[in-house]
Amino acid sequence: MDATLSGHLQELRRGTVVVASLMVLREPGYGYSLLETLSAAGFEVEANTLYPLLRRLEAQGLLTSEWNTDEARPRKFYRTTERGEAVADILITEWARLDKAITDLDTTTGA
Amino acid sequence: MTSLVDRYVYTALRRVPEQQRADIDRELRASIEDAVDARVDAGEERDAAVTAALTDLGDPDKLADGYAGRPGYLIGPELYTPWRRLTKMLLTVVLPIVVVVLVVLDIVDGKSFGDVIGTAVTTTLNVGVNMAFWTTLIFAIVERNGDAKQRLKLKWSVDDLPKYQPSRVPLTQVATGLVWPVLLIAALILQQFSFSDVPVLDPANWSFWWPYFIVVLALQAGYQVWLWRLGTWNRTVTVVNAVLQLAWAVPLIWLLNTDRFFNPEFHNFAQAGTASDVKHWLTVLITLIVVVGTVKDIYDTAKRGERARRGLATEVAGSGGGYHLNG
Repeated sequence: MDATLSGHLQELRRGTVVVASLMVLREPGYGYSLLETLSAAGFEVEANTLYPLLRRLEAQGLLTSEWNTDEARPRKFYRTTERGEAVADILITEWARLDKAITDLDTTTGA
Repeated sequence: MTSLVDRYVYTALRRVPEQQRADIDRELRASIEDAVDARVDAGEERDAAVTAALTDLGDPDKLADGYAGRPGYLIGPELYTPWRRLTKMLLTVVLPIVVVVLVVLDIVDGKSFGDVIGTAVTTTLNVGVNMAFWTTLIFAIVERNGDAKQRLKLKWSVDDLPKYQPSRVPLTQVATGLVWPVLLIAALILQQFSFSDVPVLDPANWSFWWPYFIVVLALQAGYQVWLWRLGTWNRTVTVVNAVLQLAWAVPLIWLLNTDRFFNPEFHNFAQAGTASDVKHWLTVLITLIVVVGTVKDIYDTAKRGERARRGLATEVAGSGGGYHLNG
């Protein structure tokens, strides 16, 4: 892939990981599980970006966390807060609006 | 022996604020173990799986920057433009002024030719490096301080645009045009009367040439004031400028190349190498600078005069000549 294209793709994808994380974490999940879910869903995200991102979203009040020590390996579970839900809804609406706008552009100019 | 995972976690977390460290330590270890287990389940050797998981996670310093919310750059795009503008202004305007002032002070002090050159070179380097360093340091700190960054967000307005008026004589040009002759006259007089040892320039020329240069330089200063009050360029300006430039350049080159410029008694050139060599190269260098400078100045003034007279567009400064504005 040439550098120009990969630069534009990166630019376009920036921000989608936040929306996807807020959606996935409506069901509580921990770092590695979220990484797996996202990459299975086709989001290219690096562990070293995702782990700090989860903490940043928590600091912003969009996620909340809790340590689960029931299992042999204690894990930090994150869950989307009410505020996080509201933000996610707005972001998803915006995403849908952009998608529609792009599609409309395509049909008006491409016809 | 500390394990690879320990070494990785310590390296990443030593650069994370202490109050967050314990929690991140626990979480990061769990995440690494999850990744290793997944690889072992897929059939990898345990050691190889650890190496691969840590390699995937990448440079621990970068991870630490992510956790601490530190930017991965010194000065971001928001502050880069004001940083560049300030640095450029300091290095091209303030630095030359500082150097000229210190050199003049040295000459007044009666320092030797070599000392004056030394002052010029060391000041340029010292002050230049300091200006660049402190400006960059302050901008880097502001970049990392949200409040200061917010306050520094300088509003740009259309009033900040340069004016590009074709006939206007810029005040900066008038100022340099005035300071330059004054400095040269001062240097000419001081090198004769203030140096404790032998003057650099030939004292024999006080019978005619040095006073003549002082008069021409004074006239050049007067020309700048006259041009500024006139506020425009025309054929008269072109002719007066050419006469004044030639009145200064031609005798200077003649004196230099007939060996009547430097004082034959002045031997300090020898410090920098064979005296005759240094004198020879200095003669060639000054001649070259004077010829190029004079031709360029006469040509530029003539071009501006011609353009202003015909009401033509003027070149936009800094555009490299290919870009014109209609006055």
